Amino acid sequence: MHSTHISIKSANENSKKRRGNPLKPAAQVHSNDHTEHYVHTSLPPQKFVKNSQNQVEGYPNLQKLFRLKEKHVARHATKPYGCRVNIDEMSSTLNNWIHSDKLVFEVVMIGCLTDNQFIYPLLTSLPIDRLISKPGFLFIWGSAQKINELTRLLQNDGWAKKFRKSEELVFIPVDKNSPFYPGLDDNDEALFEKMQWHCWMCITGTVRRATDGHLIHCNVDTDLNIESENLQNSAIPAHLYRIAENFSTATRRLHIIPARTGTETPVRMRPGWVIMSPDVILDNFDSVAYQAEIERLGTHLPPRSEIEALRPKSPTQRRGP
Amino acid sequence: MNCELLKYLIENHSGLLAPPISGRVADITTVFAMEEPKDSRATPDTKVWDDLVVIESISPGCLSFGNLETHQNTDATIEYIDVETLRIMMNVVEPGTYEVEDQESGKTVAKARKPDANLSLADRLDTVLESHAADTPNQQKLDRLQQALDVKPASHVLGRERASKFTPHAGFIPVCANKNHCSILSNIATISNNKVVAMDANKVQNADQDCPGLFKCALSKIHYIPNLKPQTDPSLGDCSYLDTCHKLNSCRYVHYLQYMPESLANTTAASVTHINEASTRNKHICLYTQGLNCSVASQSILPAQWIQCDVRKFDFNILGKFSVIVADPAWNIRMNLPYGTCNDSELADLPLDLLQHEGIIFLWVTGRAIEVGKTSLQKWGYQVCNEISWIKTNQLGRTIVTGRTGHWLNHSKEHLLVGVKGSANWLTRQSDIDLIVSASRETSRKPDELYGMIERLVGPHARKLEIFGRDHNTRPGWFTIGNQLNGDKVCELDVKMKYNRYLHKQGRSTSPRFSAVT
Repeated sequence: MHSTHISIKSANENSKKRRGNPLKPAAQVHSNDHTEHYVHTSLPPQKFVKNSQNQVEGYPNLQKLFRLKEKHVARHATKPYGCRVNIDEMSSTLNNWIHSDKLVFEVVMIGCLTDNQFIYPLLTSLPIDRLISKPGFLFIWGSAQKINELTRLLQNDGWAKKFRKSEELVFIPVDKNSPFYPGLDDNDEALFEKMQWHCWMCITGTVRRATDGHLIHCNVDTDLNIESENLQNSAIPAHLYRIAENFSTATRRLHIIPARTGTETPVRMRPGWVIMSPDVILDNFDSVAYQAEIERLGTHLPPRSEIEALRPKSPTQRRGP
Repeated sequence: MNCELLKYLIENHSGLLAPPISGRVADITTVFAMEEPKDSRATPDTKVWDDLVVIESISPGCLSFGNLETHQNTDATIEYIDVETLRIMMNVVEPGTYEVEDQESGKTVAKARKPDANLSLADRLDTVLESHAADTPNQQKLDRLQQALDVKPASHVLGRERASKFTPHAGFIPVCANKNHCSILSNIATISNNKVVAMDANKVQNADQDCPGLFKCALSKIHYIPNLKPQTDPSLGDCSYLDTCHKLNSCRYVHYLQYMPESLANTTAASVTHINEASTRNKHICLYTQGLNCSVASQSILPAQWIQCDVRKFDFNILGKFSVIVADPAWNIRMNLPYGTCNDSELADLPLDLLQHEGIIFLWVTGRAIEVGKTSLQKWGYQVCNEISWIKTNQLGRTIVTGRTGHWLNHSKEHLLVGVKGSANWLTRQSDIDLIVSASRETSRKPDELYGMIERLVGPHARKLEIFGRDHNTRPGWFTIGNQLNGDKVCELDVKMKYNRYLHKQGRSTSPRFSAVT
């Protein structure tokens, strides 16, 4: 009490002494209007988000959690598999996996950050619910327009009964020079220039946030990611994979890319994932070897106490005395 | 045009692009100077660059330059030389210099780029790995087509320019991201009652010697300096709530105070006033009024209007037609929010066709309501043409990543659906992007940036309606309705007349009902 009083007094004296102090603090708090700034300078607002390089900046516990999870996932990952298949042969290959190889995955991601994706035809041409185990998770990435078209699926009862849309994720390129700038999507009809990619996160089967910590880790990631600058040239930013890895503890993960991405943006391999694409750089998938590897690894990551202590959890209900 | 240089490029293209020169303009200048006859050696270095630019401008694409971002032509490189085009160019100046294959212009280029057969296997692999699709003539053509497609129509360019002229400046002050600066300033600052009350310029100047640039940075940027208190434990990291934390006097996490010198605030404000005054003067000679009314510069804006009412029961015929509607319904998503919520069907049943023949609508949605919102828009006759994301930031300009803000994942953004009805050719499209980055405020309060975006889209005098608005949403040029507003204020005469008639009728029809109940 006493000390603050003195400091106010001395501060007043100081400011009186240095009338011309150029560093005298302003009384008002300033806030920038990034939308107005964009209109005048063409610098997009996401450039000024301070944590786009490190999303969990300022939160040491979350940083530690991210590091631990990354290590844990890497330790229990299958070797990277690629499966090079033409788009028109995808559904027959997948049907083959379902019916004769009896393959199933807990995490299936479909699509990447390009236009011209054939997501709807793919989803409707195969029994996707038999490819995904229960509980399982489906992530579908595409332009906002493409994702919007999928609303039709939800209106179709059969599909909506099996999959519940649980979150809508967004990925934002840092500016118009980014390889992920969705330029083609920009038609003249749009009222605003498009700067984002969308993703449906769907859940099949039953998982409970409070009790199924061995299957899912909730609230680790957020539903938004801004491109960070030091990305490798690739059709898929690593963050898209990381969200799925951080959320589900499953080790069987499949990524289907029903689009040509070309040689400019290669589809890279990722440990722990089977990647099916017409342009994936390696073609090494073998279902027998894969199943043997999963047998050895287990279908889910073993729980780790350090991660359990750090990860956000639902508040437990207090019992009465 | 420098014909010697042109000839030199044609004859040595493969050597110039290969290591060690690798297309560097500075090196090409030197090598070219060595080749030249002695008498003309006096050519200044910049001349070669200028000549290259001239050659490129004669036939765009015949040379492609890299490293141009730095704007220093000394760093520039040539990434590709289209020899065939250069030969044609040379033949125009001095006919017959080269034989040109007129059909397959790509052929010669391809031949020239074919790896030499006598290279070792490893070298050939290297050349394949290093080759880039952008080097191929095909890709060059595609790039040129893409360039042509990317050209925006004049209406778009003019619209954007007008939007920028009509939008008042607000004063942008950059935020310093240097953690070191912030902690040094934190040690120097006098903090009292959670405010920076003084900053000792001499001490900052002294600290500048160890940390060059600090003083200048403090003068020109905003700094967020840690507000360390006896209970603060910096190892815990930042508070999730920062400046909105209710337990400032006991919270052990780190909080921050904004520090900016008064002089910076004053100079920014002065320059903003200056710019805005100038642009108001210029507005009066606005020649491009496409989509706006022709007296756009001089006509005054209507004052804020509002009516407190239950939107679900209100007679929309009173209000007339609007160019734009904004709605932020309190969706019933099984959360305890401090206000009444509204059912899906109640919303979808709103007779929005009474409010709009042709125009646009903005609908805030969350979670499950994204799909409900899309179906409602379709039902009302709108086509979803954009989805705007509002990226919520905190005091430090970071996205919100903590606090279990969503069920499965944390939520750092909110969705705003944009629907369009009719052909609406009067809109000024694409002056803005589909993102808003702005700090989150009280529960469910949406960013004010949206009003500016809408104004650029429909013009300042278009009729604008906000449904489910609150007192903080009322503003000049807008009509606001909602049950949480205070009273009413209507100045458009026709609306006023209809509204009075409605009130009169309401009064008559409700009073007997009251007596019947009691």
